[in-house]
Amino acid sequence: MAHLRVEGLFKSYDTRKVIDNLSLSVNAHETLVIMGASGCGKTTLLLLILGAIRPDKGIIIIKDKIVNDLPIEKREVSYVPQDFSLFPHLTVYGNISFGLRVRNYEEKEKDRIVHSLLEAIDLRGLSERKPNELSGGQKQRVALARALAVCPSLLLLDEPLSSVDEATKEDVKKNLRKTLIEMKVTTICVAHDPEDAFALGDRIAVMHGGRIVQCDTPSRLLAEPKDNMVRRLIAPMYVLSKNH
Amino acid sequence: MPKDNFELIIYALSFIFIAYMLVSLFYLYVAVGESLGQVAGVLLDTRVLGALTISASSAFIVGGLAVAVSVPVAYFMTFKQFKGKETLEILLVDMPQTFPPVTEGLVYLLMLGRFGLAYTFAAVIIAKFYVAAPFTLSFLTRRYREIAGTGYDVVARSLGADTKHLLNWVILPLSARDLLAGFSLTWARAMGELAATLIFAGAVPWRTEIIPTLVYLTSKDAPAIAMAASVIAETLSIGALLSFRWIAGGRKWLT
Repeated sequence: MAHLRVEGLFKSYDTRKVIDNLSLSVNAHETLVIMGASGCGKTTLLLLILGAIRPDKGIIIIKDKIVNDLPIEKREVSYVPQDFSLFPHLTVYGNISFGLRVRNYEEKEKDRIVHSLLEAIDLRGLSERKPNELSGGQKQRVALARALAVCPSLLLLDEPLSSVDEATKEDVKKNLRKTLIEMKVTTICVAHDPEDAFALGDRIAVMHGGRIVQCDTPSRLLAEPKDNMVRRLIAPMYVLSKNH
Repeated sequence: MPKDNFELIIYALSFIFIAYMLVSLFYLYVAVGESLGQVAGVLLDTRVLGALTISASSAFIVGGLAVAVSVPVAYFMTFKQFKGKETLEILLVDMPQTFPPVTEGLVYLLMLGRFGLAYTFAAVIIAKFYVAAPFTLSFLTRRYREIAGTGYDVVARSLGADTKHLLNWVILPLSARDLLAGFSLTWARAMGELAATLIFAGAVPWRTEIIPTLVYLTSKDAPAIAMAASVIAETLSIGALLSFRWIAGGRKWLT
């Protein structure tokens, strides 16, 4: 049974169709990576699922419940934007515990959850730092911990590796994959870099012109790309797979 | 040194403008210095003190009300999408700053005079509020839009925050300096407002007479009182404005 189902989704801005009859499903505990060229509608799709914007048509079902009319705060969908949007006036602890404060968690329980997350993302000792004192990779981990602290039903990651410097990117990528598997959280992740998409995704959905063109496991995508556009998009992976 | 003749012209025009503004601002102190004996004699005049008390207290009340109103209204103007929003913003923020205050005073007199509000302290507040409150609203709306542009609101909501949490835990802490800057300009503008207050509230000493009306009414017959009132008000305004900016700027003096 799919954890998330999107059926016949449409979204236009003025006369420009951004999402065009898009359907997709994500299984529980799975990481689905949405991949595609800039402007193909990836971020719009995330924002529609999140509830930040409303679709013109179509339905979004999370755990068998249509959520179209639910506001963001009631959807139990956590979101990590491209620039992480860590609250600059709060410490690492304040950021991670934000959702727990909203839910009126007791201090002790809040402490326990935040410290276990800090341990999981390997940022012990940095709880009192402000976001401007963190590196790109550290910010990404804090944003991830903040999103996971509230045990979301669905996690949305928008280009989680784009603000991470090249030197630490490989480690950050591995840690991100490890955390997502360990936490068993159903995730949709947007990535434009095929290398990131193949490293993070259990399945990869290739998007073009507001639609999903092909959705498969990384190995099937490599073996049987549906058309030349898909082949071109994942071309760097052929080179990498030959080299390994 | 200017790099060429064109830059020289730019510098010259800038200096003329700066001199004009600074002389306009500080000449009062020169004039007071020339009539120091007379001015000092009326500095603690009861009418001057009364006008100062009404001016400062009403300006603080107007500043506080402007903050209380602007916090939710700026939220509405930022996050609520509706037709005619730009026009409404012009009417709420730009118009009050350009609308003739004397006309506004007349509007209040016609509209609220029948309820017994004319020539009362409440009339002073109402008249000043229309002219001065938009400064705070303008500052806050701009800041809220910056915050919305960064996506903090979407992230906070995705973590379960409702509007109260979002406002109290994210938007307001990130807008504190803008709030104070808006308050300081509102306060200063309210201190200087004359026409609307004069028409709607009159100039009853220790009730509705404020520094600008006192200066207006005494400048011909009792210039020493007008100068004393002006110098107190100007010093207070400059001091308060710099202090507010100092606090808003993270307690660093302006460079």
